[in-house]
Amino acid sequence: MKIKIPPLLGAALLFLSPLAALHADDPNEAGARQGMAAAILASETDQPALVAKLGEKPSPVLKGLFESWQRGGIFLFTAPDGAKIPFTLDAGKALRVDTGAPLLDASGAPLAFQESTLTAVDTSSKLRRAIRATTDSLALADPNPETRKSAVLKLGMKQSLASLPILEGRVSVETDPGVRKSLVEAIAMTQLASPDPATRIDALKQLKKITSVPSRDAVAKIAADASAPADVREAAASTLKAIDNHLFWVDFFGTMFRGISLGSVLLVVALGLAITFGLMGVINMAHGEIMVVGGYATYLTQCVFSNGVSLAPFGIPVHIPGFGFDPASGLYQSYFLFALPAAFVSAALVGLLLERSVIQFLYRRPLESLLATWGVSLVLQQVFRLVFGPANAPVYSPAWLLGSFSAGGVIMNYNRVFVIGFAIVIVFGTALLLARTPLGLLIRAVMQDRNMASCMGVSTEKVNMLTFAFGCGLAGLAGAFLSQIGNIGPSTGQTYIVDSFMVVVVGGVGNLIGTVISALGIGATDQILQTMLRNPVIGKVLVLVAIILFLQWKPSGLFATKGRGLEN
Amino acid sequence: MKILHSLPALALGVSLGLGMLTPARAADDTVKVGVLHSLSGTMAISETSLRDVLLFAFDEINAKGGVLGKKIEPVVVDGASNWPLFAEKAKQLLEVDKVSVVFGCWTSVSRKSVLPVFEKDNGLLFYPVQYEGEEMSKNIFYTAEAVNQQAIPAVDYLLEDGRKKFYLIGTDYVYPQTTNLVLLEYLLSKGIPIENIGGGLRKDDAGKVISAGKYTPFGHTDYQQIVAEIKQFAATGDACVINTINGDSNVPFFKELAGAGLSAADCPVASLSLSEDEFRSLPAKDLIGQLGCWAYFMSIDSPANAKFKSDFFAWLKTASVSGIERENRVTCSPMVLSYDGVYLWKAAVEKAGSFDVDKVREVLESGKITFDGPNGLNTVDKNHHTTKNVYIGETKADGQFKIVQEFKQVYPEPFLKGTFGKK
Repeated sequence: MKIKIPPLLGAALLFLSPLAALHADDPNEAGARQGMAAAILASETDQPALVAKLGEKPSPVLKGLFESWQRGGIFLFTAPDGAKIPFTLDAGKALRVDTGAPLLDASGAPLAFQESTLTAVDTSSKLRRAIRATTDSLALADPNPETRKSAVLKLGMKQSLASLPILEGRVSVETDPGVRKSLVEAIAMTQLASPDPATRIDALKQLKKITSVPSRDAVAKIAADASAPADVREAAASTLKAIDNHLFWVDFFGTMFRGISLGSVLLVVALGLAITFGLMGVINMAHGEIMVVGGYATYLTQCVFSNGVSLAPFGIPVHIPGFGFDPASGLYQSYFLFALPAAFVSAALVGLLLERSVIQFLYRRPLESLLATWGVSLVLQQVFRLVFGPANAPVYSPAWLLGSFSAGGVIMNYNRVFVIGFAIVIVFGTALLLARTPLGLLIRAVMQDRNMASCMGVSTEKVNMLTFAFGCGLAGLAGAFLSQIGNIGPSTGQTYIVDSFMVVVVGGVGNLIGTVISALGIGATDQILQTMLRNPVIGKVLVLVAIILFLQWKPSGLFATKGRGLEN
Repeated sequence: MKILHSLPALALGVSLGLGMLTPARAADDTVKVGVLHSLSGTMAISETSLRDVLLFAFDEINAKGGVLGKKIEPVVVDGASNWPLFAEKAKQLLEVDKVSVVFGCWTSVSRKSVLPVFEKDNGLLFYPVQYEGEEMSKNIFYTAEAVNQQAIPAVDYLLEDGRKKFYLIGTDYVYPQTTNLVLLEYLLSKGIPIENIGGGLRKDDAGKVISAGKYTPFGHTDYQQIVAEIKQFAATGDACVINTINGDSNVPFFKELAGAGLSAADCPVASLSLSEDEFRSLPAKDLIGQLGCWAYFMSIDSPANAKFKSDFFAWLKTASVSGIERENRVTCSPMVLSYDGVYLWKAAVEKAGSFDVDKVREVLESGKITFDGPNGLNTVDKNHHTTKNVYIGETKADGQFKIVQEFKQVYPEPFLKGTFGKK
């Protein structure tokens, strides 16, 4: 099997691959390793001091070892002579903490263990605090600039004048511009604690210039501190105003972004329904469950790309084997790209089945189709429960969808950016399909006038079937995406069914553009109200009230279309 | 949905009718015991595990000769996540089946709805789930964590960890609201200024705080705005989150949190409603290093716990209960505290020499009834709650908790509101 890995994935893969165990160019490594082993074996009272001492001679190996220690990944091996040797596990193989070399048994063969059979070396809360202090100070010299940045800021927020020389010392050796900025910020924050009013005012001016959000609490404290000199307080008040002003704009743009992203989620969720309900006029109450089919398809794809999964549908045990890809590998990380077509196809197949078995008999009877599809939705929920169990299926996001970037203080999560792009792609795809392909022409013809289309020799039954399956496939894509931001479980579909209908009805039944505008409008309104009211519940209630009022005014939605809709 | 609700009622009517025709009476060599949990509906996912562990405890006791020489005969009824139905079912258990004791309820609202029934009919209920306190019925024994046995130790741990800002978030119902009000008082008494408590405060006309923290409805899915707020709250350092979100909504919450790059080291989240059982439906990798606080963790390393786990899992393989999940099971605090409840009741009955509710209660209130369970020693106190160990755990990639701190034998204090400043 040959799979081409996109460059982005390749980068992610490189980033995630475990760092090589030995660093040839690290002169401190041997000493650090021995110090670490000694600290692990020391008595509980001596440990914090030994850990603090390790911070004096920085070595890249320390970070990983400290992490394993805290996470319970360091174990003790008792040598035949009674000596205790601390070791870590790397894919089952034991590595000595003090040398980094494999742990050998009496005959010189490397030892391997099952992690579940070992008892990890314990840490007390006092020791963990000491470890954190040491890792924080080590992080100042970490090779990753992001780590350095957060370590510098953390130190600045402590506002301890004793750390001023350390920070100033870093300014001369730091090369990364981002970290240099943080250093300036941290130094100014620390200077806020200075006894000299002139230094404090300078620091406040500096913080105002860079509109430092981390210093907000400290600045607000000075502004409210009656014992501080008047000019210091004044400077603090002006800095605070500048920071709050900056925060206002961050909030504003953040809310805009979140509104668009929520709107895109609604759009992705409702698009399938815009086809089945909007164009075809089938009140498909099972739309949510069709989405969940896509979600489970994503889950299964993920399982196939890792170690497979054991299911017991209707009490019959079934094992689906997997490729066994390493979770850190690019192949595993690309599972989501394969999950998308899998979700589309499986949901479309379920839709096809549903259309052939139930809906084809109910095209002219909307009320009966409502009841019938509601029944189907209950049946599907129970089938999910019997096949996948009542608990949610845990779907992990690939590394390239996790994380975020910040633009001028506004945090944008990759998965949120992805959904916006994803929504654009599928909306354009659907619009092109309807407007520019022969199938689209047939669909529009049948939807506008079934009898006439039939007279012209169009096989309306086939077109109905394909259109419904296509709408369900879109719902499946929505399910695949939802697995990245929420959960996939037997009753997940119920959460989204109301939202979907809301979007389609507000947009105007039978109109794609209306659906897009209404999804974005509802998303943005919801987020704006949430920010203004600082309360998610009232925000949602107000959106629903607004929709009810809106529909009183325009019962057929934003964009009313004539056609074979609900009215005839 | 109306139709769905009336179906169980119909079934109940039929079964009650049948009950009248053939009065259920325990045979002389058995004692009837009620199990009242939701086996369907939204809560079934959590409560079914409690039924399983109760049936296991009964089988275990029966295999050793039963209680006072009588075999336990369980009467299992389904509350169907429908709170009024819980009261009906409790009435059925007490008046028709005439059970000696009932083990059951999960949500506080279900407990509140059965409470009048138990008080009227003088029944006995063992309630196994952590709750908000402020209650002590003479007919209920609370085997789970009171607020001072869960939320307060979690806060103590975070304070000791050097955290100075606390963001409170929960699902909008009685347990999170009440717990957070208690926590607010506690944090203020510990010298945390009110502006360092995030999530928002709501005051009544007199200026008294009536709600602290951020609340989302059951099944909420969009946590973007809240996580952005937490990120800003945490930007000024040393912040943490106390999370009382229930059930499914934890998945979007933690996914959003992981996406925003808030790690457990920067801003730890202490979750009060997430045990190993809930973990089975969560993407564990997004939660590594976050905190939990319970009276029991599956990872407790003791012979009693090892035996409990292996016996329970072996029992699951062969149990003749229809639809029981046999694979990939875990144990968690509410399960173990249910199990402890059965043995505490057994010990009390044996000491009283009778199944009579008044006599059993008197013995339980003596403060001398103990059970050394998988979670360590449990002692029933005069205030109907139990003294037990409390553990703080850090979550691992496999959905288990690494125990980082243990509080030995914590005395339960159900009435905490208004007690802090005064000491």
